[in-house]
Amino acid sequence: MADERHAPAAVEAPARRRGQGELEAQVLAVLQQAPGPATAGWVQERLEGDLAYTTVMTILSRLHAKNAVSRSRSGRSYLWQASSDAAGLAALRMRRMLDGEADRDAVLASFVTALLPHDEDLLRALLDAASADPAAADRES
Amino acid sequence: MGFFVFLPLILPLTAVPIARLTEQHLHPRGAARLMTVISAVMAVCSVLCLGLIGVVGTAQIPGNPLPDSWSDPEVRAALPYHETVGTAAMWLLVLVSAACARTVGRHLRVRSRARRALTGLPAGPGPAGDLAVLPDRSPYAYALPGSPGRVVVSTGMLAGLPEDEREALLAHERAHLRHRHHRYLLTTQLAACVNPFLRPLQHAVAFSAERWADEESAQEVGDRRITARAVARAALVSHATPPGFAAFAAPTATPGPVPRRVAALLGPVPTSRNWPPAKTRAGLAAMVAAAGTAASALCALNAAVALLVVLKAVTPL
Repeated sequence: MADERHAPAAVEAPARRRGQGELEAQVLAVLQQAPGPATAGWVQERLEGDLAYTTVMTILSRLHAKNAVSRSRSGRSYLWQASSDAAGLAALRMRRMLDGEADRDAVLASFVTALLPHDEDLLRALLDAASADPAAADRES
Repeated sequence: MGFFVFLPLILPLTAVPIARLTEQHLHPRGAARLMTVISAVMAVCSVLCLGLIGVVGTAQIPGNPLPDSWSDPEVRAALPYHETVGTAAMWLLVLVSAACARTVGRHLRVRSRARRALTGLPAGPGPAGDLAVLPDRSPYAYALPGSPGRVVVSTGMLAGLPEDEREALLAHERAHLRHRHHRYLLTTQLAACVNPFLRPLQHAVAFSAERWADEESAQEVGDRRITARAVARAALVSHATPPGFAAFAAPTATPGPVPRRVAALLGPVPTSRNWPPAKTRAGLAAMVAAAGTAASALCALNAAVALLVVLKAVTPL
């Protein structure tokens, strides 16, 4: 599983616009190699391509929101550390797969499929009907 | 052989009426099974006939693997051959194989990537331990087939649903896993790759599988209304970020699959019969489809046997 995260970062041309999930995975991979808690600058130096400091900060914050990294305050900046939260990491990997596979709904049975333009109003009406007093509906039928 | 060898290529059209009518007239379980069998048989027959047309048609092209005696005038007289048609059939076969390989590859890739994403995740709560709740704000819920199968739900999806509707969602996904719906989906997708005329059946089976899981879920939670609400609410939650084209697309007259599922759940319980009564339109459509499937199988068999007989007659063994 570690290989899977590291491999694409190293070989792919920096010219290709990297997706959000991919960037997050790269930042996480760098953090996991760090000997201890690291600063955002440290991460930025070790990342492929020229990413702005603010971009790295944004990605780190996003990872933090997803519980994939933890942070501790050190002076005026933060020290970041890859979290060992298995669910957070799994969610991250799952998101990468979902973003990368356009046809995933044809493979995995999704609970709901995409809505047609008109469907939303129709669904709200049906939802109202379904939420109505069941006793009244039973008398009707 | 002759004209009949081409029939299995167009006979899938006889299944179009049943694909349209099962929704109202059959239990989704029966509908999914019936239509999957029909598409599998018809797809196999299509491939067989394409192969036969190809083999016969290209028999005179140098370098083909057939015995030399195939070029004899008496064999040529017994079999209809047309080099252009034969070559076209061969190319079609190549295309079909490529499309099928792509579909299977995509299935394997998505499933293995999803499975790898879940590695290291401890077994979920509950006795089954198949539930994986992933912290992600975007709402999704998937049934991930395999052994053991797993139900993957994001916290974004769970947050949008009240407790009883969550139960309905989980029951729906577990029904997919329990009845191995992914096999129906893959079979009909491959069939549609082989013969595009089978595409209506593919869509109908995909819809029936969802309805089937809905009905199982409703049975488990004990109230069809709860499952109906869960489906409707989950669709609205997932739809919160509207796709870009929505604003430009004209409102369509026919509702999409999700409202049809909700409406079906709010309607009466589907009949438990797996075959529609004979004197209804659906019954007629089912008969037509069954006859088409049988004819398709007969034609393919006939062509194959004819070819074998000729082959045996001319091959000195």
